[in-house]
Formats: sequence, structure tokens, C-alpha cells
Amino acid sequence: MLPFSSSSGSKAHPRHHVSGYSNGYPRGNTFEISPHRFQPRGKTPAFRRRGRLFVRIGIILAILGLFSIFVWPRVSILSIFSLGLISSGEEFQLETVRYYDLSNVQGTARGWEREERILLCVPLRDAESHLPMFFSHLRNFTYPHHLIDLAFLVSDSKDRTLEVLSNNLEAIQADADDLMHYGEISIIEKDFGQKVNQDVESRHGFAAQASRRKLMAQARNWLLSAALRPYHSWVYWRDVDVETAPFTILEDLMRHNKDVIVPNVWRPLPDWLGGEQPYDLNSWQESETALALADTLDEDAVIVEGYAEYATWRPHLAYLRDPYGDPDMEMEIDGVGGVSILAKAKVFRHGVHFPAFSFEKHAETEGFGKMARRMDFSVVGLPHYTIWHLYEPSVDDIKHMEKMEQERLAREQEEKEKAEKAKKMKENFGDTTSQWEKDKTEMQNIALQEKKNKEAQNEAPKDQAGAPQANKEEAKAPPKAAAR
Amino acid sequence: MARPLGPVRLKKANPITIVIGGALCIFILYFILGPSGTDFSAARKAAAASHPLSPPTSAFRKSSKNGGKTKPPPVMRYNLNNVTITHNPVENRENVLILTPMARFYQEYWDNLMKLSYPHELITLGFILPKNKEGNAATSELQKQIAKTQTSGPEKARFNSIIILRQEFDPPISSQDEVERHKMQNQRARRAAMAKARNSLLFTTLGPAVSWVLWLDADIIETPPTLIQDLALHDKPLIAPNCFQRYYNTETKKMDERPYDFNNWQDSPTAQQLGEKMGPDEILLEGYQDMPTYRSLMAFMYKPDEDKHTEVPLDGVGGTALLVKADVHRDGAMFPAFPFYHLIETEGFAKMAKRLGWQATGLPNYKVYHYNE
Repeated sequence: MLPFSSSSGSKAHPRHHVSGYSNGYPRGNTFEISPHRFQPRGKTPAFRRRGRLFVRIGIILAILGLFSIFVWPRVSILSIFSLGLISSGEEFQLETVRYYDLSNVQGTARGWEREERILLCVPLRDAESHLPMFFSHLRNFTYPHHLIDLAFLVSDSKDRTLEVLSNNLEAIQADADDLMHYGEISIIEKDFGQKVNQDVESRHGFAAQASRRKLMAQARNWLLSAALRPYHSWVYWRDVDVETAPFTILEDLMRHNKDVIVPNVWRPLPDWLGGEQPYDLNSWQESETALALADTLDEDAVIVEGYAEYATWRPHLAYLRDPYGDPDMEMEIDGVGGVSILAKAKVFRHGVHFPAFSFEKHAETEGFGKMARRMDFSVVGLPHYTIWHLYEPSVDDIKHMEKMEQERLAREQEEKEKAEKAKKMKENFGDTTSQWEKDKTEMQNIALQEKKNKEAQNEAPKDQAGAPQANKEEAKAPPKAAAR
Repeated sequence: MARPLGPVRLKKANPITIVIGGALCIFILYFILGPSGTDFSAARKAAAASHPLSPPTSAFRKSSKNGGKTKPPPVMRYNLNNVTITHNPVENRENVLILTPMARFYQEYWDNLMKLSYPHELITLGFILPKNKEGNAATSELQKQIAKTQTSGPEKARFNSIIILRQEFDPPISSQDEVERHKMQNQRARRAAMAKARNSLLFTTLGPAVSWVLWLDADIIETPPTLIQDLALHDKPLIAPNCFQRYYNTETKKMDERPYDFNNWQDSPTAQQLGEKMGPDEILLEGYQDMPTYRSLMAFMYKPDEDKHTEVPLDGVGGTALLVKADVHRDGAMFPAFPFYHLIETEGFAKMAKRLGWQATGLPNYKVYHYNE
């Protein structure tokens, strides 16, 4: 800067600087200084240029801002201006459109690698007592938990199922370990007004089966239709009263890559009943007899398996178990049991459900298997891969067990009495054996003594020749005769 | 700028800057503090789900925080005992799910949808489109309309939630031409694929909050705006209006209309006998010359002078327009993709509903209109 054009206002400078061109002042700037105009003090061209620049930027920004309001109605504006200024916690955006491609969720053999989501469905009714056991299973699943969505249907429950369930679920979602957290969790409440009792005896009675199973089917359908989402690849049905199952069961079943697959279900029994027993008789292969039987029944009849009333001669998955068999062995089946079903979600998406009416003379899970077969899906059971259902003693079993308990008590009592008697005897005749021994030796001693005496007597006559012998006899004889 | 601004002009520019700055400040304050008119109302925000993993029939909060750890989804309780299904759905705030399998997008369809007078915040739309060239074209057109409505449209016109599904239909429907589509031998495969598409759409979108399901085909281009209220008023488990088609009558040289959907019918003894004679995998079809069933078709029951709300019982329904109580579907009534009592798709659906104890009803004098190709 040259001295005369410096910003210090106090410095005087010539009004006309004609010599501006020749004094080393930069060329470009010289044109901006109008020689015939008043130059205000303290305003250099650089200052003015900067000021103009600010004005222009301001104008451009304002125009851009106004323009953007019309182009991007609010999205960009909000994100620009409200960013962190006022409580972004309350401000959130709503998404109303969801787009899903169903060909991405067909289900594959290695779903955990492709991050395939599973919907785990659990129908519940008065199941409070089983929940702790169920949640211990839930925590142990090896399939990534965040890929599992849980859905529960609580219907017609009179106990505290609902509270216990939601408390347990809240606890899982609040777990310190992130790997414990599950995906979407829905608890669905719906009462169907079931009249059928849920205890073991009435639950498994033959007469109640058809209507009971139709109601169960209805409950399952309500649960599924409320919980199935477009992003599910698999659906896993699990009963709460499973006592023992491998933690890897989801992967184990998925690996087979079948549309519908079930393991074998047995239950442990007390020793007096044989130790174990096939439990789920609803997984079976169709037989000619059963088909012929089905034709004779009326439209609404339901064949239920495992009852003497319908002899179907079907091969049951449960009876084919070999404890040392290959757990990967598969068997084609037509009816499936509902304790533990893994199915591809596309099966349900295509409309296969649990018929709450008589579908080909079957309802609920058996009807589900039939319908899946009808739509050309593969339905498979694993005869040697076993999970264990909880053993709930039936009324007869309880009676029997009471009787056994009484017998056992009686036997114990008897044994106790016996033992006591023996003890008393021992106390009373404590040294009988030693006394006996003593007596015995004494008697032996006496016998020995006598023998010795006799021998001694015999030896004397021998020394005195034969006469005394005769004497002796004679001596003996007279008293005899006298006696006679 | 070659010409420098004089000091006077500089002084003039200053107030402009101040004005612009002030205006910007007002804008900023407005956007921060003022009610954002284009955003959703508080009521809608309160009803939205807090996590993307939620029933698709509700809007959800987009998580804006990218860096922070996402919270696990909450434990949600849905009491289905409280989901009412009544003849007065508007007053009881009942959710309606409108389901549309779509192969082609018709602007008239969307316009008609927008005209429905049922509160849009109670309506969820569900679409399923095939994954082929036609489907892609339809999807992009549909998405254009959706974006227009859901982000820039007035809030009153915006729907509660919209779900778009894409699926590969098993046997690729070679052509959507009307002639090819309606050929009898193509019917069975076509309708089985349709049934699967309908079921996929239905069972993934139904969720725990819906009271009514309205099946509306993509080629229904004209309905009364009060369609949902009118059909729900009858309080029937399944109710179907009569589907007609407008066309240019070459004889009278005038626009005219003719019955279109022949799948709404009452059963006949002839059809039942035909069914009995059939093998288990054969199906009965309606509206074909070489298979006379003598069923009474609702399409021909239309009487212009009679009351709009006359009811007739039906044994088979068509899916062009059909209002169903959600409970019917929840009980398991679906669209069989296999011959169910020799019926398939929507007709089989009516039969299955009947097996579950739900009777279908038709309104022969209540008309909706089909697109004319």
C-alpha cells in the first residue's frame, strides 16, 4: 500500500492524483479510483470489494435458500436449520412407505450367514409355570438373537402368564449383553372363549380332540397373521413345554433346507413306566388304511392320531427313533406335530395355514402338513434327532404313583420293623453264640473226660486176665435177675 | 465487474444485505420454532411405531442418529380383543387395509383411491407387483404417485402407511393381454399364481391393528367415494359390489356399460354335479362357453330401479372389489392356489370362509367400474 492511500483517515492526500499511473501503483487498481470523484476517507478499494463480495454471497444464499424451499419442501431445510439447535430428540421424521422384495426372503440352508430373519411363534395359555424353563431355552439359542423376532399369543389365560411373560421379555431386552437382545417382540392378546379345559386329562381325551384342535388352529392362525412380516425368511413354531432341546436346533433344522421340517419329540418317563416314551404322534406318513377311513367319514370329521378309535396304521415318526441313528436322516411325512416346526416363511405367505376346519379330515398342525403337501412343499421329519417334551403325569399316573408311594412307604415301614426286631433280639440274647461255643467246649470237655474214665476202667480188667470179665458179667447179671 | 461501485451505491447495498439477513433470520426462526405445516401432525406422530421392526400397517420413526447405538426393539403388546369391527368404522376409528395386486398402473385407479372419503390416516395401502419389465414400470409410476401424495401432498390426503412388495410369480405370465389372459387353459396357472400373490400380500401386511381388508384390483378405476363406509354398513364378513365396465357401444353409438366380473355367483345343482364327477385336481371355471355351470351370476342380477343396498347371498366371489372383515382372514381363510372343492383363488376363498363359518354377500345394485382395455 502506498502511503497516501493507507487506511489511516488522518493522513491527508491529494484530491486529484493525476500522476497515479506513473507512481508504481498497481495497474488494475488504478481504474477503480475515479480521479474526479470524492474519495471518502478510510475506504480503500479492497475494503469495498470485500464488502461487495459479502453482499453478493448473501444474495446468492438467500436465493438458494428460497429456491430450496420450493424444491425440497422441508427435508433439507429442517436438516440445515434445526440441526442440533432445538431439541432434536423430539423432532423425528415419519416414514410411511415400506418397500420389500420377497425374492430376498425365500430361505436358504445357511440363513445365519445371509442374515435371514426368523419369526418365533409361541401360543400360550395358562403357561406361567413353564415360562422360566422356556426363557432359559430362549437365552441359549445360538442363532443370532437380533435376527429372531418373537411373537406370543396369550389366550384365555387365568394365571399370570401375561405379566411373567412381559417381565421376562423386558429383562431380556434390557440385558447388558447386546447379543441377548431379540428383534421385534409382539405379545398378542386374544380370547377365543375356549371352554375346553387345559389339564392333561381333558386335553388329551378323545372326544374333546376335534373341537380343541380347531380352536388351537384358530389361535395359531391369529398369531401368525398378526406377526408375519414381509422380511421374514423362516417361521419357527415352538411349544413352551419343551424340556430339553439342542441350543443349535434352529441351525440344525435349517441346514436341511426343507420347506417344513420337524424333529422327533419324545418325553422322559419315571423308571417304572419305562424311562422314556414317544410323545408327539402327529408326525406321520399317510397310509392306505387312513385314506380309506377318511373317505367314510363326513365332511366335518377330524381324524386324530394316537387314539384307538381311529386305527390308521400310519408309520409314526416317533416310533422310528433309534437313539444311535444318524440325526440327519430325513423322512417324508404328511402330518406334522406342532411342538417344534421350522418352516420357510414362503410356505405361510403362499397361504398354507393351520386349518380350523376339517381339511382332508384333518385340522391344526396335521392339516397344516397336509395342506403344505397339497401345495407341493416338502414336509420332512427327522426320526433320530430328538427333543424332549416335559413329562406331566396323567391322572392315572398320579394314582399309580400314589399307590407306588404308599407301597414304598409300607415296604419301608416293614423293613424298619424287621430291623428293629432283629436289634432287640440281639440286645436280649446278646451272647448266645459265645455261650453256645462255651457250652459246646465244656460239653466236649465233659465228653472227653468221660471217655478217658472209661478207657481207664477198661484197661484194669485187661491186666487181671479173663476171669474178672466173667465176674463182671455175673456181677451185673444177678441184679438184673433180681430185678426181674 | 469492471465498473467499480461508487460509495453511494455501496451505501445503498447495505440495507439490502440487512433485509436479506433479517429475512433469513425470520426463515430460520420459523423453521425452528414455527409449526411445520408440511410435517405430520402430533397425533400421527404419536401413533407411529418407534422402531422400523413394527407392523407394516403403521408409520415408523426414521432413526436420525447414525452414530449412536440403536436401542433394541421394545416389547409391544397388542390386544386384539379391542380391535372392533362394526358397521360404523369411521366413528370407531377402525383401520382399513386396501390390498391391490398390480401388474399395470392406471392413473385413474390412483385418482379414484385419492377420492375415497374414508379418513386417509386410517387407511393402509398394500401392493404386490411382479418382478418383470411391466412390473418395474408399474412400480416406478406407483412410487412417483406415492411420493407426490405422502411427502408433498396435504396431510389429509396422506395415507397412514404404504407397503410395496415385489415378488416373482412362479409361472411368468407371458402377457397381460386380455385375450391371452382369459384363455381357459391359461386360467388355472394364472389364477394359482394370483392366489399366491394375494396370500403373500395379505399375510405379510395384515398385522395386529386392522379391522377391515378391502381387496381392490388395480384396474378398478371408478367407485363411489364412500365405498368403504357403504360396504361396511352392511356389517357382513365378506361383501362384494357388482363390477361393471364402461365401453363404447357401436350399435347405439353411445357410451354404455356391461357386467364384467363373473366370479360372484350362487351355486347351482349342475355345477355341483359337475364337481362331483371331476377328479380332485380339476377346477370349475365361470364364464366359459364350454363349461356351462348354470350358476346364477350376480353380474346379471343388476336392476337399475332397485335399492343400491339390496343384498344377495353368494357362494363364490371375485376379487375385483371385496370388503372382508379382518377376522375372516385371521381365522385362516385364504386364497387357495390349489383346487379346493374344485374352486381356486377368490372363488375358493369364499368356499373356505364358508367352511370356517363366514358367509359371503353380494350387492348387485352397487356398482364399481373396471378399466376398459
